[in-house]
Parts: sequence; structure tokens; C-alpha cells
Amino acid sequence: MTPDLPKSLSDLPVTAPKWVGKPVNRIEDPMLVTGRVEFIDNLTMPGMLHCAILHSPYPHAKINGIDVTAAESLPGVVAIVTGEDAERWSRVGYTSPEGWGTHCMATDKVRFAGEPVAAVAAVSRYVAEDALELIDVDYEPLPVIVDAHAALEPDSPRIFEEHDSNVMYQRDFKWGDVDGAFAAADHTYTERFRWHRVGANPIETFGVISQWNPISETLTCHGSFQTPAFMALGRAAMHRLPTNKVRAIGQPHGGSFGGKGGGRGIDITALLSRKAGGQPVKWIEDRLEYLSAGGGQAWDRFYEASLAVNDDGTVTGLRVKLLDDLGATGEGFGATGAAKPMASFTGCYAIPNAEYDLTIVATNKLPASPYRGMGPPPHNFVLEQMMDIAARDLGVDPAEFRCRNFIPSDQFPYTIASGNEYDSGDYDAAMKKLLEMADYDALRAEQEQARSEGRLRGIGIVSTIEPGVFDWNAYAVIGQKGVGVPEGVSVSIGNTGKIIVRVGFPLEGQGQYTVAAQLLADYFAVDIGDVEVVAQDSLSAPTNFGPGGSRLAVALTGAVLGAAGKIRDKFVRVAAKLFEVQPEDIELMDGKLRVRGVAGGAQLTVGQAAGILIHRTDLLPDGMEPGAEATFVWSSPDRVPPDDDGRVKSYLTAAYACHLVVVDVDPETGKTEILKYVIVDDCGTRLNPANVEGMIDGAVAQGVGAALLEEYVYDEDGQLLTGTFMDYLLPTIHEVPATEKAALVTPSPFTPLGAKGAGESAIHTTPAAIMCAINDALLPLATRATEVPATPNRLWTLLQAAKQP
Amino acid sequence: MKPAQFDYADPRSVEDAVALLQQHGADAKILAGGQSLVPLLNMRLARPAVIIDVGKLRDLDYIRDDGDALVIGALTTQRSVERSELVAREHPLLAATTRYIAHPQIRNRGTFGGSIAHADPAAECPALAVALDMQITVVGPGGARVIAAADFFVTYLTTSLEQDEILTDVRVPKLTPGTGWSIQEVARRHGDFAMAGAICTLTLERGRCAAARIALFGVGAVPVRAPEAEQTIIGQEPNAALFEEAGARASAEISEPLADIHGSSEFRRHLAGVMTQRALTEAFSRAEAR
Repeated sequence: MTPDLPKSLSDLPVTAPKWVGKPVNRIEDPMLVTGRVEFIDNLTMPGMLHCAILHSPYPHAKINGIDVTAAESLPGVVAIVTGEDAERWSRVGYTSPEGWGTHCMATDKVRFAGEPVAAVAAVSRYVAEDALELIDVDYEPLPVIVDAHAALEPDSPRIFEEHDSNVMYQRDFKWGDVDGAFAAADHTYTERFRWHRVGANPIETFGVISQWNPISETLTCHGSFQTPAFMALGRAAMHRLPTNKVRAIGQPHGGSFGGKGGGRGIDITALLSRKAGGQPVKWIEDRLEYLSAGGGQAWDRFYEASLAVNDDGTVTGLRVKLLDDLGATGEGFGATGAAKPMASFTGCYAIPNAEYDLTIVATNKLPASPYRGMGPPPHNFVLEQMMDIAARDLGVDPAEFRCRNFIPSDQFPYTIASGNEYDSGDYDAAMKKLLEMADYDALRAEQEQARSEGRLRGIGIVSTIEPGVFDWNAYAVIGQKGVGVPEGVSVSIGNTGKIIVRVGFPLEGQGQYTVAAQLLADYFAVDIGDVEVVAQDSLSAPTNFGPGGSRLAVALTGAVLGAAGKIRDKFVRVAAKLFEVQPEDIELMDGKLRVRGVAGGAQLTVGQAAGILIHRTDLLPDGMEPGAEATFVWSSPDRVPPDDDGRVKSYLTAAYACHLVVVDVDPETGKTEILKYVIVDDCGTRLNPANVEGMIDGAVAQGVGAALLEEYVYDEDGQLLTGTFMDYLLPTIHEVPATEKAALVTPSPFTPLGAKGAGESAIHTTPAAIMCAINDALLPLATRATEVPATPNRLWTLLQAAKQP
Repeated sequence: MKPAQFDYADPRSVEDAVALLQQHGADAKILAGGQSLVPLLNMRLARPAVIIDVGKLRDLDYIRDDGDALVIGALTTQRSVERSELVAREHPLLAATTRYIAHPQIRNRGTFGGSIAHADPAAECPALAVALDMQITVVGPGGARVIAAADFFVTYLTTSLEQDEILTDVRVPKLTPGTGWSIQEVARRHGDFAMAGAICTLTLERGRCAAARIALFGVGAVPVRAPEAEQTIIGQEPNAALFEEAGARASAEISEPLADIHGSSEFRRHLAGVMTQRALTEAFSRAEAR
């Protein structure tokens, strides 16, 4: 039974919240900034061995044989595993679209450069890497497919011979009367776009220590796991173990952003530990491995989009055709990134008819992984460019054009064409606020002046949705079926009123421990320092998932408040018995249990109530279970599987943001400089505004990277040319603008306290905004940038072509 | 990312270092600040049998005023050069150039001599060496010899240093009175190696350009001078049109620039011209102000 969770801050049992809703300093930070957090590479164990992995230099080759004898005889080498061991002791990966998975090491062939072929466990990483050089693999190179379009050709070489093409998935979704809308439209616009591979780059790469226990036949893994419980479930499946025989312990770790899927690394170390008779085996993915063979690559996409628009500027139809190059196997749930755009397909706009023609194809590149945002950022880039194209053709200001198409604020909850339901919003108000903050008219006047001086000044204005609180049903159409993503916590209160909250996810950097502590501190009116957050391993924690899909702050709030409510209910019954009144006459307020409406009467503190539940069980109501503790598992309400057209109420919340960015494009160097960046966002109730701002700042940085700098480049032979940070260009503090921010607060009617998912944040918006600004700058030259990132060389090439008569 | 096995030596004198180089020949590699070598070692792209760590040769860490030049010891860090009051006063171009090298963390360790000996064609110090005709002192078994910068850089990451020689100091000529200067580069990010860059000096005498130097980097296998572009402006009254013409000349006279994922050959050639034009414009305005 679901208890009534507080719907707003005023429903909390406190006169005025002291912690929730305030920019409280993060309780995680003192340990982090003083270097006292134990990351995976700090951890060492008796008898621990070090793993190095041999990666294929070939993007596509048959393996005719592997000779490890020389490596085995190197002093210090304890165990070597190859695809043979993987076949013997583990299964084919389950994280790919059905039928496109592989073992954790290549068996008969390799499908991308970087694919693990063998691995060594030795007394040091140095020796292990020396041993790799002694392993002799007999490769027989096969034709390589790098280009996604070429991979579709009927005579293309097959990445998986058992399939009759390289197409992993194809479906044309139609919602509403799309063909009718386009036929009836006064104007239609079509453009093609290319989004090159970018991806997650946490400051810490993936790392794991696996230990096989040959006596109990159990597997224990410490690692930089984003979602330990989910990771453990996966290992049980991969190694054919009962789920209660796998313990995943999530170490505090340095970010993920989706890049720490890491399944192969865990499975390989598990096999090595098993082969080494149970010695623990550590593998720390190095940066070369992360970039070329890890979870860092995502979103390699070719788009064709069309918009149907009437004379009055009303958009009536949207078509998006996507060819998504998922790389060699589609492992690591990368395919979900093509499904998620359906959760916010038509953005902030009331577009009744839409089509999504989706093709996912395999090539000989690293399998694409999830990345913060999980797929919509490229989609938003495309949609927002189309909005500008239409606005310009109709001679309507881009801000005004968007306002004409916004879902009106009185229409919420609003179901979009692709079936998701937006909870709340006031997009018009956000846009108005944005233009006011930025002094939009003055910016346009400055732009005129700049243009008259021959400068390429552009202003980008966009509005996007951030779907929050993911549900598996969002990905059901591509095969990840399921409804609900339960998040559970246990709360217990000691006899001195100190509180412990046990969670199932490790420290990752988002500040959720602080959120849990804020909630409990206000709920029971204690100091935030009186709440201790404890991360538990996968065999100890309540049912949980952890961070992902902009969900955890909302889900955690539900779980914490649910557990707190259960404890409060016990307290109330204890107090009612002591005060000889009915439970409904007792209230918890400001940390005291008292008789409702009686001033100055008897009261019980939280510590006293907990103390009675622990040490004076004689005073408890008949049949009451002792102890001031409760577990509560929360999941999004009212979720169901998709309908036959793929329409589904998936993500629970719809945060949104309007961004305005001003750029100058240097006509001689093609370099883009960001001059001004203004943000208005609304993620409902802000549980910790400082956390939200941090999320925005980080996501703006990643958005700048995607728009201007970051790109995984493969040559035509399938070799990665951006295998280090010399060439894969992350934005630094010099490239990321300081933003001006304002918040609107439109609480969600569907979530506890009205908070919305806000963890992905500006990555949804920034690439689109910068590209809109660049295209506004290029407007006088009648050329258009349709390729992301907009590098100096690309923009200069466009400018050169535009100069030709 | 762990280096292959190597032996390690840390000599306490230049003579000892040279003796070790003589003993190990091509199997040895000198380690100074390590900002280029250590990543190469970790990626196993360089696998010397012996690392000769010259970090203990502290008497190669100095900046000395020698009248018409500054003399900089090879082990002086880039950060020391950047923050030196002597350099700021006597050689603002050198100070400005140093600030373009990567980031402070790297300049804290990277050495002035190491950058020149490493000879990355997109790096700033080698370009400045070529621009100013620096004199590079190297010591070998037979004693010291001085190599002019123009003769020092052979090709990509390759110099005229012999296998048993070690770079000990660099003589950096000061700019003459009436000389303006500029360094301009375009990189993908702040601190990256340049896609193209230009270092220019321009000397004014009675309103005319009496001397000009243009060095380009990031556009070939070594940093190069642009003599035709220099000749375009020498003897002329500088103006915007002249700088544009000089930029076009510079762009035209360099040999085929190296292409990579950040810039095509054609783009880099174009950028070299733009950087030249911008550097001349700024150098001229500085010369006028002096």
C-alpha cells in the first residue's frame, strides 16, 4: 500500500523547512575535497592480482588461433583467459538488442578495434602488460564497414553472419495523421543533419576487483558501479549464478554519465579470478582503453527531418528519420538512446502529428553506450534547427515562433503525439523571463551593428524538455521490457534521535546523499549532521536501481518520505497510547509528537519515541513490532506497457528549459566564441537549488563539448583517430561560458514534493542552442551548419563555399 | 598504460650525462620535465632501454642577462620563464610566448630546453627559436658546440642533436629598439597545440619597416620562416593592405601543411596567412607605441 507522500514542502511535518529547498552544502564534499574517499584504485586486497586486457587491433577479423604459451611462462603471470574460457564459464551479453550480443572476449571473430581478445592476471599491471606482448593471435582480416549507409547495402559484409543484414532494428512509428498534416500544410521544410559520435567522459575510468570463491561458488565484485544491484543481476545472468550468489559493492566513484557500463571488465576479471583459483583480480581501465574500448562513445547519427507548418506559424506535423550507428554489437543498452526521444518527441510544442522512422545499424566501431541525456540531445538539436528554419522562412522571430507553438500552460497534464504525458509547465513564462533577462531587443540591435561591421554574430534561442524519472517501459519498443523502476531505502532512528538511512547506490557525485539527509532532517526536525547515509551492497540493500535517467532525486524522495511516514505512523501510535488518546489526535510537528490542537500539553520527542520502540517494549501498543525503522520502495505510479503504436506514458516528469546564447563566428578562422549564455529552467520544486545549479553547469560544459569540440573520429579502415585527450577534445574552463540563470518553479502534480528529474539538465538544450546561434550568425551568408560538432574547419569550409558566386 | 621495463640513471653532471649517452647510444633517452616523454613511455610508443633523468642537473636551471640576449638554462621550467621578472622586463615576446604553452600545470614541469629538443612543429618554443635566431648550446663528448636555430630543427620531432649530445642552454636575442612583436595562434582549445600560429617582429625606422621576421608553426614538419612574406613588408610603409598581402604570401610560400582531424592542409595554409596578417598588425601597433 502506498502511503500518502507529502505533495509539497508545506506538507512536511515542520513549521518551516530548514533544509529542503535550500542550497545546503553537500554532506559528501568534506570527504571528497580532503581526499578521504576510497575510490576503487585505492583499494587493495591480500593476494590481489592485476589484470591487463589484450584488445584487437583489427576492426573486423576472424580469429584462427591464440597462442598464450610464451605469456604463461613469463614470471609473475598467474592466469590467462581467452574467448574459450568465456564460452565455458559465461554467456553471451544480454545488454544488446536480442541476438546481437557477444561474449566478454572475442570467440570466433572480432567486430571492432579494441574488442577484448585475451586477458592476463599477474602480480603487477606492469608484468600483465608485458605478458600481453607475448600473446600471439592469428587474425584473418575481414572487410571493414565503418559507414552506416554502406552497412545497409544488401551486399555489405555482415557483422554477425547469422543475420541476413546489419540492421539491428527498424520500425516506422506514426502517431496521428502525419501524411494528412503534411499534405494539408501551407509550408513544409526538410533538412538533413549529422551528429557525430560523442560521449561520456567521467574523470575516473571504470575499475573493478572481482573475486571468485571456489568453495561457496560466489562472486564478489568491488567496483565503480553506477547501479550495483543492476550490475549484480547482470553478472548472475552472465556467469549462470543464482542472484543471491553475486555481491556487487559500489565504491564511491568519480562520475559516470552513462560511461561505466563496464560489463566486459567485470566479467573478464571474474573469469581470471576463477582461473586463478580465487585470488582477487583488479582491473583499472586506463584512458586509452576507456576511449577506444570502453563506455565513452554514443550517438552516431544521421537525421532527416521535416516540419509541416501553416501560414500562421502553427506546426502541425514533425517527421524524423534516424539512422543510428550503434557500432559492433549494441551492448551496454546503447539502443535505448534511440527510443528515449519518444518521451519528448515534439519538445515543448503542441505538434499533434508525428512520425519516427528509426533504423539502428551495426558497423565495425566500438558499441555505442548510454550518455547523459540518453538520446534526446541530438533529437532536440534537429527539432530546434527545424523550428528556426521554419521561423525564418515565415519571417517570424524565433522566440515568437516557439511561443506560438508552445503547449499552453492550462493544458497540463498534456499527452504528446508519441504518448508520453507531461506533468506541468509554463513555457511561455519561461521564454518571457529569458528574453527579459537577456535584454533581447538590445541583443538584436547589437547584432545588427556587428553585422554591419562584417562580424558574424548570432543569437540562438531554444526551448527543450528534460524527461525525468525513467521507466523501463520507455525502452520496451526496442526490447528492454518492464514496467517500474523501484527505488528502496531503509531508515532507522536510534534512541538518541540520530538517523541512519541505508541506500543501494554508491557516492557518484550528484549530491543525493545530501538530498536524503535534507529530507530526513526536516521530517524529524533534526540537524542535517544527525543523519548518516550508508551505502549498502547488492546483497544488503533494499530493492533499488540507483541513479540513471534523471530519476534518483525524485525516486529517493519518494522512498525516504515513504519510510519516514511509516516510522511516523508508529510514533503516533506509541504517543497515542502514552497520552491515552486516539492516534488520529496525535500529530508529528517540528520533531515533537503531541496532541493536535492542545498547546503546551504533553509531548514526545523523536528520540524518546524511538527509545520507547527500542528499550521500553512494554509501553508499545499491542502487537506492535519494536524498532523505529522502516523500508519503503518507491516507483513511478500509473505506468503501463506501450500500446500497439509504441505510444507510452514513460518518464514521469517533464522539466524544461529555455536557453539564449550569443556567439561570434570568426569568419577567417571558423572559430566560435560564446559571448553570452542565459538560462531559465523549471524542474518543479528544487530540493537543493545548489545541486540543480551544479547539474546545469556540468551539463552546459558537456553541451559545449558536443556542439563545438568533441568527436570520436574513425578512419575508413575502422581505426579510432581520437584515442587520447590530445585529439578527443573535452571542453575546459576556458571554453565553457559563465551562465546567467533564473529558475521558475512549477511543481509536478505526480511526484513527492513536486520535484522533477533534473540530472541530465542542459545537455538536452545547449548543443541545440549553440547550433541555432551559429546558424543565426551564418544567416547573412545564406549557409547553414547541419553537422555537429561545428568545428572551425567545418564552418570555414561552409563559409568558403558560401563566398563562391 | 604502463611503460615497458627500462633502466634508470640520474647523473649529477653534464659530463656524466654525456658519458651515459655515449655508453647507451640509441637505447637511451633523456628525461627532463617528462611532459612529452612520459606519455610516450606509458603508451609504449617509446621504449628506451635506459632513461637518463637530468632532473638533478640543477645548475642548468637559470635565466641570465647577457647584454643583447637572455641565456636560459635547459632545465629552466616554462613556468619560471613565464614568471621571471627579468624576462618580463627584457623580453616581453618570450614571456607572452610561454603563456601559450599548454596549461600552468604542464608549464610547472615542462622545461624550456626540453620543448626545443623535443621539436614538436606545433609547439611555441621551437617557433620562437626560429623567429629570433636563437643560439642553442649542446654538449657532447668533444665539448660544447653552438647550433643556430635554423639548423637545429630537421623534421618532425627530429633535431640535429647527436645521439651523445645534450642541450644545455639557449641564447635568446633581445629585440632591438623600435621593434614591435606579436604571437598569434589558433588552436581548438585554449592550451592546445596550434592548428597554425605566427610569431612576428617588426622594426620601424622613420615610418618604414626596417626589419621583419615571420615564423610559422603548426603548418609543417618544422617551424619555418616566411622569407617572401618578410620581403613583402621590409622597406615599406606598413598598412593593412600590406599585411594582408604578406599574409597571402606566407600562406602561399609554405610547403604542404600536415593535415589531421582538426584541420585539413588547405585550412591550415589559410590559417597561417590569417595568423601572419594578425601578428603583423599587432606587431606594427606595438612598434608604433615604442
